[in-house]
Amino acid sequence: MQSYPATVRPPADAIGTLSIIVGVIALLIFIGVEGALVFAIWRYRASRHLGGEAATFERNRRLEIAWTAAPALILAVIFILTLGTMAEINGAGVPAAMRITATGHQWWWEFSYGGVKTANELHIPVGTPIDLEVSSADVIHSFWVPDLGPKKDMLPGVTNRLRLLAPRAGSYEGQCAEFCGIEHAWMRIRVVAQSQTEFDAWLRTQAEPRTTSDTKAEQILLANICVSCHTIRGTTAAGTAGPDLTHVGGRATLGAGVIPNDVASMRAWLADPQRYKPGALMPSVPLSTTDLDALANYLVSLK
Amino acid sequence: MTAIPLWVRRPAGERVGWLRTVDHKEIGVLYIGMGVAFFAFGGLEALLIRAQLATPEARLLDPETFNQAFTVHGVTMILLAIVPLLVGFANYLVPLMIGARDVAFPRLNALSFWLSLIGGVVLYFSFLAGGAPDTGWFSYAPLSERAFAPGTGVDYYILGLAVNGAGTIIGAINIAVTILLMRCPGMAISRVPLFVWMTLITSVLILGAYPALTAALVMLFVDRQLGGHFFDPAGGGQAVLWQHLFWFFGHPEVYIMVLPAMGMISEVIPVFSRKPIFGYAFVAGSSVAIAFLSFSVWAHHMFAVGLGDTENAIFSATSMLIAIPTGVKIFNWIATMVGGRLRLTTAMLFAVGFIAMFVIGGLSGVSLAVVPIDLAVTDSYYVVAHLHYVLFGGTMLGIFAGAYYWFPKMSGRLLSEVLGRWHFWTTFVGFNLTFLPQHWLGAVGMPRRVFTYAASTGWGPLNLISTIGAAILAIAMVIFFVNVLRSLRSGEVAGDDPWDAFTLEWSTTSPPPPENFATIPAVTGRRPLWDRKHPESRDGR
Repeated sequence: MQSYPATVRPPADAIGTLSIIVGVIALLIFIGVEGALVFAIWRYRASRHLGGEAATFERNRRLEIAWTAAPALILAVIFILTLGTMAEINGAGVPAAMRITATGHQWWWEFSYGGVKTANELHIPVGTPIDLEVSSADVIHSFWVPDLGPKKDMLPGVTNRLRLLAPRAGSYEGQCAEFCGIEHAWMRIRVVAQSQTEFDAWLRTQAEPRTTSDTKAEQILLANICVSCHTIRGTTAAGTAGPDLTHVGGRATLGAGVIPNDVASMRAWLADPQRYKPGALMPSVPLSTTDLDALANYLVSLK
Repeated sequence: MTAIPLWVRRPAGERVGWLRTVDHKEIGVLYIGMGVAFFAFGGLEALLIRAQLATPEARLLDPETFNQAFTVHGVTMILLAIVPLLVGFANYLVPLMIGARDVAFPRLNALSFWLSLIGGVVLYFSFLAGGAPDTGWFSYAPLSERAFAPGTGVDYYILGLAVNGAGTIIGAINIAVTILLMRCPGMAISRVPLFVWMTLITSVLILGAYPALTAALVMLFVDRQLGGHFFDPAGGGQAVLWQHLFWFFGHPEVYIMVLPAMGMISEVIPVFSRKPIFGYAFVAGSSVAIAFLSFSVWAHHMFAVGLGDTENAIFSATSMLIAIPTGVKIFNWIATMVGGRLRLTTAMLFAVGFIAMFVIGGLSGVSLAVVPIDLAVTDSYYVVAHLHYVLFGGTMLGIFAGAYYWFPKMSGRLLSEVLGRWHFWTTFVGFNLTFLPQHWLGAVGMPRRVFTYAASTGWGPLNLISTIGAAILAIAMVIFFVNVLRSLRSGEVAGDDPWDAFTLEWSTTSPPPPENFATIPAVTGRRPLWDRKHPESRDGR
């Protein structure tokens, strides 16, 4: 894998620098204009008993041309900086070392690494330029992880590209930025940036079929409607409408961020997903207490 | 109790006359009444939104109710409150300011109002008919398609906005024709008050922008009800087409809402500075520039859609350009105040507040024209903050300035300056507490239109401050309504010209008689009433 040239910064850094420049310019203009306004009020208020009549001037062509031209010059500078940063956040001509597909669904994320599918948690190698190819299975969503920089809309029938570069290892939080229906608020993203070695190991695991098997739990799953939406590779469950559950136990949260992922939460979620995510497309499946226990334990064990 | 001129112009038995009036002043009052009523509804929806977001993971509103609340809040404030308020002032004031007896087409004027109102009623009827629209005020396809919005809410949105828009389009034709053809002798187009100039430009913008919305609504209706596929990618349509059509309307709409308010403060500031406006030609001319440019900036709402760097760069450039004529106006208003003798009435306070707050909205607007910054903060609370600094900090403060300034003309009575000052300062504090923190919330990652947020995000404290600000803002609005009601009942009688003003509406009685003027005035300058009062120092020589 090629390493990222040191001259090209992560998109978030490039945007950060530009924001500081534009922010300082804006602050100076703010101070100047508000200062002039406050001064004019203070200096010319009638209650100061200035005496005499108000001035009668009503134009000054030179002044007006000057205060039209000055903002134009400032904006020209900002525009040139804008063009440079636009190129930079798109990768500045540096090819991506890796492509990952992201598909927005109401209300979860599907990530695909050359056919290896996972959901809601995007693992990437740290310091590596990645092209995220984003699209949608239903309505418009928008992929946004603030600490990784820009967002990109995900439209049905269109594939957009977003350059990602995680500057440090660790997890980055984000969420859908385009209003996408009733559970828009609970469509959170977790990006896990890890060393190349850790990432390779993670991806190898994801590519495997399920890591544990439990005949009883799998029978419950296959006998119920779970199977029409979910896939667990290694079993005959091969639905594609919902998240791939082959390694669901390895993820940090359930319902795209709405509750943590442990046996108790999993059990509560299975018993009544609508309680935690009203409007989500997953129905409540009537299961006995023992079946719920078995299924929750099994799913959480799928690391 | 003394008579209330605003309401008792007819005997009690003839109140039904309000239903069939074709008088421009009465229709203006009806428009303003509609705007005030919907402003109250939209405000209550805003309070629901802020109450739900005050704390993380709150369960005060269920997500469906929340989504209806923010959708209807947006549609209400933009199309059923701000636009009718501005059109109402224009209806009332334009004929008076240009020395005309009425608008060009009085019956058409009544039709515009009733269509606008019926559009609003249709939209609100959706609450009783199974659920309000819940797809956001710009109602992006395909979320608004039947597959994802199977209820009738979006259908009421289509019908309500189309009918309301028809009223607005007809009204714009009427006002434009009135300004172009019915000015009194001597009232050259270079002498009309700046509020009239801004209203003329706004009418042209309406005629260019609203038909695009109507077309988009018809297409969405075809998709939803007749099996069309305009915005459905699975059937060969394009989701992004809706966005182009909507924002081709939506961005000029911003100027439709801002320019008349700029016109209002362009009347208020000179009168209370005791000076003519500085740079009349620049203020008027820069508005023409804004009008042209406003039709070429729409895709700055779509930088994250993936149109490509070339398109984004072009729309970034046009969006920055529009900041220039907008900025020029700010300098002109301040220069008008320089050298003046400023009477800091409530109207003047609100006008100055407009300038102070609009500067913030303008600067954040420029930052949103910078594509990489936009990609970071678009669709976040940063944009919510920006648009409220423009539409509340700008337009609404301008409307309040206009309300304190012209209420005496419309009702014959002054509003209380004491309550006015309370109204201004509670508004100023409440507004900034509500919306200033939202810039930070957006920058750190809070998307707009979320019904709640995880406690782990740390967004709780700033949201709580924002909600407290909204409560203060609500108190400010109550103070205003108390002021208006008290004044209608027992306010100080205003007389014809309480502000020693410059323009023709103050040369007639308060309220003006039917047909406005005993004899049509003739003017020789931009400040006809000043000229009449100060023949030794006439303008326009």
